[in-house]
Amino acid sequence: MLYFAALAIAVGLGLPIAVLSAALGQGKVGASAMDGIARQPEAAGKIQLSMIIALAFIESLVIYALLMFFLLQGRLPETAAILKTLAR
Amino acid sequence: MEGHGSSLVEGNPWALVGMSGLVILVLAGVSYIGTRKPKRVPGPLQNLLEMAISGLFSFVESVIGPQGRKFAPFMSTLFLYILAMNLLGLIPGFRSPTSGLNMTVALALCSFLYVQFQGIRLNGPWGYVKHLMGEPIWLAPLMFPIHIIGELAKPLSLSIRLFGNIFGEDKIIVILAGMSPFLIKPWLKCLPIQFPMMPFAVFTSLIQALIFMVLTAAYLTLMVGEHEEEPVSASH
Repeated sequence: MLYFAALAIAVGLGLPIAVLSAALGQGKVGASAMDGIARQPEAAGKIQLSMIIALAFIESLVIYALLMFFLLQGRLPETAAILKTLAR
Repeated sequence: MEGHGSSLVEGNPWALVGMSGLVILVLAGVSYIGTRKPKRVPGPLQNLLEMAISGLFSFVESVIGPQGRKFAPFMSTLFLYILAMNLLGLIPGFRSPTSGLNMTVALALCSFLYVQFQGIRLNGPWGYVKHLMGEPIWLAPLMFPIHIIGELAKPLSLSIRLFGNIFGEDKIIVILAGMSPFLIKPWLKCLPIQFPMMPFAVFTSLIQALIFMVLTAAYLTLMVGEHEEEPVSASH
């Protein structure tokens, strides 16, 4: 039972932690891009392109966590089976 | 998510291959029709194709440098193919071929083998191994495995990034569409609440195709860049 509880906590908490870290990182990237564009508006095209590439890099790490979420979620047991086991 | 999907698409393992074949046929057909009788003053389809090709080629040159023109056809094909495959999943009744890991791993393998082949071809076999050994030659026993693992991690991350993004966005749309009948029960059968996600899915498809192409071009630049002189880029 403790195994399933730990698994459920991992499934629930794993992805939000990844999303939180990625949001912080992407906010930093966006802020630097804004500073760069404000300092030199004629380089806005290049800066925007590099910003999008950096954002996609960070987002791909979240996608790895999402894949782990899907993998782990397949191993969670059915609620009806758990309730039947508890009722015995 | 069950529905009244036909057996041609629903559980068929060859459905994604068929979708990819459809994309190839459509892209090849459009290209063939557009370039059949090229005119000096182009018609609308030829104009559109010329705009796309010149835009993509100049973009690849801006990433790789002036010698990037040789590699531009492969990169542009990669971009258009992945973009068309990603967008196909948004049409009702079709599924994105890239929403399966098979297709994305195949694409990542294509780009990986292309980059390695260009590295061996342009650096020579010994130059290719020397590039993998790193800069100070006495650090080679450490840098060589690290570089090899790095090279192998590149197609892995490319494939998982593309697969995760497209599969995730398709899954979100499917889950939202499946959730909708339970929201407004009596007087409206189902509210299409997945419609706000559709423009976001178009944006994601575009960005992921662009990222795949830009990363392949960047890996190529890393592999080939030490061979030629550094291209002069307009930096700050």
